[in-house]
Amino acid sequence: ANGSSDKPSTSSTANGDSDVRTVFDDPENFNVKHPLMNNWTLWFTKPPSGKGDNWAELLKEVISFDSVEEFWGIYNNITATSELAQKSDYHLFKKGVRPEWEDAQNKHGGKWAFQFKDKKAINIDALWLHVMLAAIGENLEDEDDNEVMGVVVNVRRGFYRIGLWTRTVGRSLPGEQGKGKTVEQSKETLMKLGRRFKAALQLKENDPVEFSGHTDSAHAGSTRAKAKFSV
Amino acid sequence: ETNKSVEPAQPTAGMQSLKSARFLQVRNEAINYPEGIKSPNPALNVTSKSRGRCYDKDFLLQFQEVFREKPSVDWDQKLKETVGDSTDSARPQSAR
Repeated sequence: ANGSSDKPSTSSTANGDSDVRTVFDDPENFNVKHPLMNNWTLWFTKPPSGKGDNWAELLKEVISFDSVEEFWGIYNNITATSELAQKSDYHLFKKGVRPEWEDAQNKHGGKWAFQFKDKKAINIDALWLHVMLAAIGENLEDEDDNEVMGVVVNVRRGFYRIGLWTRTVGRSLPGEQGKGKTVEQSKETLMKLGRRFKAALQLKENDPVEFSGHTDSAHAGSTRAKAKFSV
Repeated sequence: ETNKSVEPAQPTAGMQSLKSARFLQVRNEAINYPEGIKSPNPALNVTSKSRGRCYDKDFLLQFQEVFREKPSVDWDQKLKETVGDSTDSARPQSAR
């Protein structure tokens, strides 16, 4: 409507006089944005009201996005984790994956997680931001790893917990045996993710980040082999 | 309070830019970021499949103060329906 597209495009990229305008050039009138590798969906778990509401109704899809600019528009206009009530969660998952272990893409997976027990000693907003940036910037997995499902922050009375959900528990899934990765490689990929997640959380060496399979936690006491690692 | 004749809010210039902007081909376009703005770490995007869509934390953090637009004109309402307004969430839960 402002006719800027009629402007003759002088394509002299060399001196910065090009028709490519990023948000850094003009946050009100930019014409390119930075694509993310994946489309992401932000979810929120409302604290239960105490009136017998079921968890599925408390889990709300907030918004999906696929550019860096969109991410910041959302982040800058949403309640900070430190201001959420107890029993709230934010989940940032690849689009199409529900942040529940029952989801077909999660049911053979697990999560790396760390609990921050001294809530006052840490800046949960910065930690959660850095983990989200590591996820959307694709710093957690390498191409072809195909392991990251999403990241989550849980606000609880006695702690904050940040988790990284993975597609597998470090071994090939039923029906995927023999597709490329050996058992050792699958486990090494999972351990690498754990180490990178730990680095994103800027934890000390002696603060263990632990992995557990979703079905292990869902059926505590089951006889199946537990996938339990730590980095 | 629920007056339906209220004019719908117009999207801001920033919201419209976000909607109409095209995706950069980060690997194939030489982008001249303004002075003081760091480019994405090229080491993250050396392999063919990354398509130039890997970004390091320092690059991403540069956007934090630059782009602060709400995702949509009805964002406040949407937020209220999903996350709840901050006064709600900040209220300590009574243990009954």
